[in-house]
Amino acid sequence: MLPFLARACWRKLWSLFLISIVSFLVIHLAPGAPSQIDPLNPRFTKEQLARYRTAFELDRPLYVQYGLFYTRLFTGQLRAFKDNQPVLPKILGRAWNSFPLFVVGTVLVWCFAFPLGITSAVRRDSGFDRITTVLVFALISIPGFYLSYLGIIFVVRTFQVDVIGMQTFGRDPTGFWPPVMDRTWHLVLPSLLGAAAGIAVLSRYVRSQMLEVISSDYTRTARAKGLPEDTVLYRHALRNGLLPFVTMLGLLIPGLIGGSVIFETIFAWPGIGRLGYEAILARDYPVVIALNFIAALLTVLGTLLSDVLYMLVDPRIRL
Amino acid sequence: MTTDPRGDAPGRAIWRAFRRNRPAVIGLAVVLAFFVVALIGLVLTKGAHPILDPREVRLPDRLQGPFARPNRASVPAASLPRLGIYLFGTDELGRDVFARMLEGAFVSLSVGFVAVGLAVVIGIVVGGLAGYYGPTRLGLGRLRLLTVDTVVTGLIDVMLSFPTFFLILTVVAILKPSIWNIMIVIGLTSWEGTARFVRAEILSLREREFVQAAQAAGARGARMIGVHLVPNAVGPVLVSATLGVAGAILTESSLSFLGFGVPPPDATWGNILADGKRFIFDAPWLTLIPGTAILIVVLAFNLFGEGLREAFNPRLREG
Repeated sequence: MLPFLARACWRKLWSLFLISIVSFLVIHLAPGAPSQIDPLNPRFTKEQLARYRTAFELDRPLYVQYGLFYTRLFTGQLRAFKDNQPVLPKILGRAWNSFPLFVVGTVLVWCFAFPLGITSAVRRDSGFDRITTVLVFALISIPGFYLSYLGIIFVVRTFQVDVIGMQTFGRDPTGFWPPVMDRTWHLVLPSLLGAAAGIAVLSRYVRSQMLEVISSDYTRTARAKGLPEDTVLYRHALRNGLLPFVTMLGLLIPGLIGGSVIFETIFAWPGIGRLGYEAILARDYPVVIALNFIAALLTVLGTLLSDVLYMLVDPRIRL
Repeated sequence: MTTDPRGDAPGRAIWRAFRRNRPAVIGLAVVLAFFVVALIGLVLTKGAHPILDPREVRLPDRLQGPFARPNRASVPAASLPRLGIYLFGTDELGRDVFARMLEGAFVSLSVGFVAVGLAVVIGIVVGGLAGYYGPTRLGLGRLRLLTVDTVVTGLIDVMLSFPTFFLILTVVAILKPSIWNIMIVIGLTSWEGTARFVRAEILSLREREFVQAAQAAGARGARMIGVHLVPNAVGPVLVSATLGVAGAILTESSLSFLGFGVPPPDATWGNILADGKRFIFDAPWLTLIPGTAILIVVLAFNLFGEGLREAFNPRLREG
């Protein structure tokens, strides 16, 4: 176990090094500099441009910029181009806004996907299975923003509530319940819509995993022993079928920072996805690179954690 | 590669399994119909004097609903719609939405196909090299530390760590807006799945007798990979390509929504939908028509791809 862990960590460190280079180069090798964001502005003379390039160190060689960038990122001194604010507190603040969406969304995904997937697998080729299959694929296939607009129109017309933003703007409800209800209404729609695709994808995985287990030899053995069907399915098959999903716990980590650009833009939610979108529009390199790098870093940590979890849960795997 | 003189080639078994899957067959039919529509659309809307002009601006006839009759008093006779009515209505410039949808069908289809084509080519080359030359060590001079397989799987891990949509958004926003850039960026960020499948497939094919026979006959390198190994790994490639086209069409529409899609005057279903969102209450057909069209086509590709996956997987096939 320990040698495996050491080797895995060593490999992940190499990946991280590559990731740091890729996230840096993606921005710097592409044509189009932050100074060109408004090329028609007559007040942007050549001298001014040069001054900005020096001020933001864009005239230094790439490897120097690379070194400076990551040194500052890790010492917390990195500042955004746009408003000269420190980048890390900015990202943390926005991540905190995205957090409720992430929690509610994840709970919804897990609560719906598992029962759906298991039932479809157990009743394979039944009417229920066919209908959920088509519905689930429809959820995967619909453009997220199209579904959101349909949802917004439906909710606004039916329940007469505001759903854009984190809370109703300009109205300060008093007492305990009104603000809570206001917050809840604003939270429900974006997290439900954000969870829709997740429910669809995860329930397909659960279904195919269950099918695989149900057609395996030990399930046949359990049936041959004359066990009742429920015991076979839910004690023998389900327990083994769910094993791989333990690894999903690790893969949840990147979700902490991976707020959805699309849904946060539609719902004017001041979360991390929206921060990234604004930073891209403003060519705010430090924020964009830091977001790409941190998201990839969390993914790497998540896969490492899920490998370890899988080994702890499944005694058959000893690398 | 599947011609068998006795007539029961593996291809036929796969086709039989596929045919039993009703949603997948319907998906295939819709996909074929979409090809026909896209080709008809290309013929009808291209050229200097197209039969149905998607770019004809008619200011008196702005935001007319579906089946509306043109305003004969104020629209010049030469700009009247060829069909006599606006089948799908008109947009905010009075352009015929039916003609725009026909034009967009071909553009959306080519975005999907070029992007996926690129991804599949990269995936096959990378996966093929990793599968065949896997244990070969690379390095400079005497220092031979890394095997080909380590390098390739490391690269795939790194690419998979990035939040794909945010990465695409970053690159597309920095590059000049053009349809080719979008295709290339989507292609360059979605080859990892194919590469993994091809690698895994070739690793298992390497041990088979026919590969040893080919080796004994003197096949090496490119010939071995291209003629003997890759054609036998075609199943998973086809599946991931089909699902990839669906994903690329969706990604293009999301990019359009954020303002980084295929730039005008080219119409794609994604940018018709994204432009329609401003008029969602006054002209809901500008949202509903392209949104539903995308849903149907992407759903068809997904059901078709899933049917292929089940048909190629012998364990799921026996039922």
